[in-house]
Amino acid sequence: MPDFRAANYGGTLGAATTALYVLFIGLPILALLIKAAQQDSFIGSLTSVTAFQALRLSLLTSLISILIVIAVGTPFARLLARSPSQLLRVIDHLVELPIILPPVVAGVALLMAFGRQGILGAPLSALGISLPFTTAAVIFAQIFVAAPFYIRAAKLGFQSVAPEYEDISQTLGLSPWATFRRLTLPLAGPSLLTGIALAWARAISEFGATIMFAGNLTGRTQTMPLAIMSALETGLDTAVALAVLLLVGALLVLIALGLITRRGRMAGL
Amino acid sequence: MTTGCPQQTGGGPTCGWAQYRIGRFSLETEWEALPGQVLVIFGPSGAGKTTLLRAIAGLLWPSAGHIEIGGRVVFDAAGPLWLPPHQRRVGFLTQQYHLFPHLTVAGNIAYGLPRRNTPASRARVQELVQSFQLDGLENRRIGQISAGQQQRAALARAMAPNPAVLLLDEPFTSLDTQLRRALRAELRAAINHAQIPAIMVSHDIEEAISLGDQVQVIADGKTQAVGNPLEILGQPGQGRVARLVGVENLLSLRIVSRQPRDGTMLCAGANGLQLEVPLGGLEQPGDTVTVGIRASDIILSHQEPAGSSARNRLPGVVAGIELRPPGYEVALNCGGVVLKCHITGASLTEMGIAPSSNLWAVFKASSCFLVRESEPGGTMC
Repeated sequence: MPDFRAANYGGTLGAATTALYVLFIGLPILALLIKAAQQDSFIGSLTSVTAFQALRLSLLTSLISILIVIAVGTPFARLLARSPSQLLRVIDHLVELPIILPPVVAGVALLMAFGRQGILGAPLSALGISLPFTTAAVIFAQIFVAAPFYIRAAKLGFQSVAPEYEDISQTLGLSPWATFRRLTLPLAGPSLLTGIALAWARAISEFGATIMFAGNLTGRTQTMPLAIMSALETGLDTAVALAVLLLVGALLVLIALGLITRRGRMAGL
Repeated sequence: MTTGCPQQTGGGPTCGWAQYRIGRFSLETEWEALPGQVLVIFGPSGAGKTTLLRAIAGLLWPSAGHIEIGGRVVFDAAGPLWLPPHQRRVGFLTQQYHLFPHLTVAGNIAYGLPRRNTPASRARVQELVQSFQLDGLENRRIGQISAGQQQRAALARAMAPNPAVLLLDEPFTSLDTQLRRALRAELRAAINHAQIPAIMVSHDIEEAISLGDQVQVIADGKTQAVGNPLEILGQPGQGRVARLVGVENLLSLRIVSRQPRDGTMLCAGANGLQLEVPLGGLEQPGDTVTVGIRASDIILSHQEPAGSSARNRLPGVVAGIELRPPGYEVALNCGGVVLKCHITGASLTEMGIAPSSNLWAVFKASSCFLVRESEPGGTMC
């Protein structure tokens, strides 16, 4: 049956604003792709030493960050999803703070805690540990900003599993741990994967906190976003090539998210 | 309270007592269920019925008590001993079934089997699929089968690991009447076959009477009555139970005389109303008693029936007629006392009953029962 109301969803104003928005977002992205295509050697720019080191560092640090976020965030999110504790309700709200906080502020805060002048700076240096301007600092910054995305998605995923399912699983002879593995994890799976994708995307794109807390040292703390900024000062080619690479990565995440949601819906979850 | 259960033949007893408090709610009750039999826990919502099932399943921790399942102690507050749910061997059936949506029908049934991919467990799944008439649905998802099939699949899943007791929390609520009757028979067969006790929470009288071997009425977290469902729910002898069950006619009458030879008493109400009711044990002439009469036990007649064995015949005027599926409820004003009578639509039409019709209400003395307002006594475990 044709939808006769279709023309009334917003009228001319709706159509005009839609066109304006698509142009506004689409034009810069298109421009980036055109510039990349006009380069003499796109692959050459991408495999330059700076670009290669930044790519490797970004993949390595974001992988470590995401693994730590999953390991710590999963049991934490499960507790948040189930516990009626008042204290946890407060913590639940605070978890989302880093999402709203400007990343630069996160960087300053990390310096104040773990920096040379920071609260834990003296005890750490007594142990011979200096965090700022190291690869570890990059990981600290990424976890700080990216973890809430995973924890929030995981909490919602665990909340979507009715406690009665877990009760029944236990009466069927499965221990709480077996119940988690065979029931809760598969049922909350799509939400967890969504959280991983969002957190990873956020970790890869991390810039503000990283430059404050870890600096911009090639090969040690210069991740792809930092390398793009540095490359802009010397020449466009490398910056554009790295930017296109991140764009493709973002598109892949978007497609993956779409597939996860669709599969979840098809399984009746 | 005792801490043990009486000895039974075969399997060991499934019984216990438990005390549980949370906020202002408290539950304190004992129970006993026999192998192959259904104990119906009957009561209003909020009475603690589900709490009792959860205590038996190990899904909550009673503040005091002793629970045995098939002769095995699973909880003893004095011990202290508390087995987690996965070590108790209970089959638990909820109102919404809670079949696992990420698994197929066969996957759900196999879920509780210890080693799922062995020929033995595949055979067990196949056996259950057949006995619960789920053939051909093994690979369906839960959303792709009917409500009745979901109920059977949930029952099959609960029975798969050979539970020692079956706990049912209003398992038929979301089904239509016909399906309920069919599934009751299947449930009964499954319990008989496994020779395990079943404890079923219900607030449906028909269900309690047709499926229950024993009924235990719980209200306000306490046991109000225990016994044969037909006696307890059909002619409840206790005030709290009578009101719970919804006995339509509860009359306050004064005893005029005792007639031990007939096993009856003559009672009088307002405006010269006289009824013959079964003889009570302690009541004396002059005492006031509450008499219950089920609306379905009253016969309506145009004339005073001659040569009838029914002892009670009261003339009255129809004060109101209400639709009460599957029939009608006629309110008959018998000299100031209104009696509610259930009749079928066919009778209503055939007799031409309308407001202000003059009719006779006819019922046997044995259809009347005495309702006591005292607290019940007696223990089981």
